[in-house]
Amino acid sequence: MRSFLRGILVVLAVILSCFSTAFAQTKKPAEASAAASSFDPHDLSGIWNQSHPTNLPVVQRYWNYEFNKEEPPMTPWGQAQFDAAKSSFGRHTYPLAESNDPLYHSCTPPGLPRVYLHPFPMEILHVPGEIIILFEYDSLRHPIFVDGRGHDEALEPLWMGDSIGHWDGDTLVADTKNFNDKTWVDRVGHPHSDQLHLVERFKRVDHDHLTVDITIEDAKAYTKPWAAHLDFVLRPAWTLSEQFCEDEHSFEDFDKSGTVSAK
Amino acid sequence: MKLYRWGAAIAFVMVFRFSPAASAQTKPPAEASKAATSFDPHDLSGVWFDDHPRPMTVMQRYWAYKFTEGEPPMTAWGQAQFDAAKPSFGPHAFPLAETNDPVYHTCTPLGFPRIFLYPLPFQIAQTPGEVILLFEYDSHRHQIYTDGRAHDTSLGPLWMGDSVGHWEGDTLVADTVNFNDKTWLDRTGHPHSVSLHVVERIRRVDHDHLVDDLTIEDPKAYTKPWTAHLPFILKSNWTIAEAFCEDEQSFEAIDDKAAAPAKK
Repeated sequence: MRSFLRGILVVLAVILSCFSTAFAQTKKPAEASAAASSFDPHDLSGIWNQSHPTNLPVVQRYWNYEFNKEEPPMTPWGQAQFDAAKSSFGRHTYPLAESNDPLYHSCTPPGLPRVYLHPFPMEILHVPGEIIILFEYDSLRHPIFVDGRGHDEALEPLWMGDSIGHWDGDTLVADTKNFNDKTWVDRVGHPHSDQLHLVERFKRVDHDHLTVDITIEDAKAYTKPWAAHLDFVLRPAWTLSEQFCEDEHSFEDFDKSGTVSAK
Repeated sequence: MKLYRWGAAIAFVMVFRFSPAASAQTKPPAEASKAATSFDPHDLSGVWFDDHPRPMTVMQRYWAYKFTEGEPPMTAWGQAQFDAAKPSFGPHAFPLAETNDPVYHTCTPLGFPRIFLYPLPFQIAQTPGEVILLFEYDSHRHQIYTDGRAHDTSLGPLWMGDSVGHWEGDTLVADTVNFNDKTWLDRTGHPHSVSLHVVERIRRVDHDHLVDDLTIEDPKAYTKPWTAHLPFILKSNWTIAEAFCEDEQSFEAIDDKAAAPAKK
């Protein structure tokens, strides 16, 4: 594009942004130009990584292993499962050899929503009829069908559940059910049953920021639904890396070898 | 919506292994009008499944376990690797307990291009900067960057390699390097080294058909580059299913359970 023409377009963009009633992303003056980048709130595509406050001591960084600081409201069954969990991580750690974390000794998938607690990025793709989230961790996929279909009642229980979604204004609402019961909800052993029902609300709040509000409902494990909130920042220069868990490189082997270099 | 199930896939594999019976995938005349349906040759998106002719003898169905009917031109090193391989599949199959196929006893990834030989579909997702093949089997992902970037030489060796691509007319040319050497090239034990270099020419020939012509080059394993032709057909009412290999569901465990469909 010729620089003169580009200059005209920049001037027009600035003028339009000043007068547009839809311009609502003002932040600090220094960030105004970045936040003012135009974006389509129905376009969630890109590579996103969770952003957390960095100025907290380790013990307050609950997001490394669970969704909230507070305990979720467990049923007696749920509490019993949680009490039996021996996580290798978080507030009540066990020695690695004693951990019964399903991920630790083998290549069991973390499932949904646990995958959100593993600190790796995700890539969101729009394809016809679907919005697909590719998680770098364990190459997990979260396909959300937005073509109007209902849940597939014929499916067997799934690690990632069966997800359908629709737009509610500028919020993508994804409804997921039909989970198996082989995963933990988080990394410390909060449980779920096959009655788990997740609702995720995705909202691109500005060009560089996405929020995901998750409602976790499971009448067998929890006395009432509870919520989690995740913040993501766009990482346009990042690429989703390859990440396979295979037997020679389960967490157990990483810990034994003392390295995380091999993939 | 028709769902392609893991259990069905196992049954499919069993049909290939043990039975000359064939599932009919031939194209009846009624589909000719479908082939004339307009399409954008630069749009590769959809769910695709291999489109080899089915009503053939088991021995003719080389595509169930390797890329070409004939033997590729192996170096001495390549031949030695091949001679040491004990596949559980194909005309030189060993008993399961003796196989040294890296994917048999554990959940080692199939890698690329072996993933093409596993009889499950893939979905092509296309964005402005990428063409991604999402294979149903075990979350394998062939991510072809089409945004003009060069290969990333800082990456360690990868199971699926590092792929960049560009369009030449209506053909997507994908160039993949930087493989690890932990996979077999195919299901019968043809080898490759870390010098493997795969060039694919991917073309949507009509609305329902896609072809991928691979050139396989590996001077350590092969005396010269050789080619393979993979045809695919669009499965517009299929959805990619979940198909994890985790320890309880390795091929070995499935066989131990007497090939009962693996419910996950």
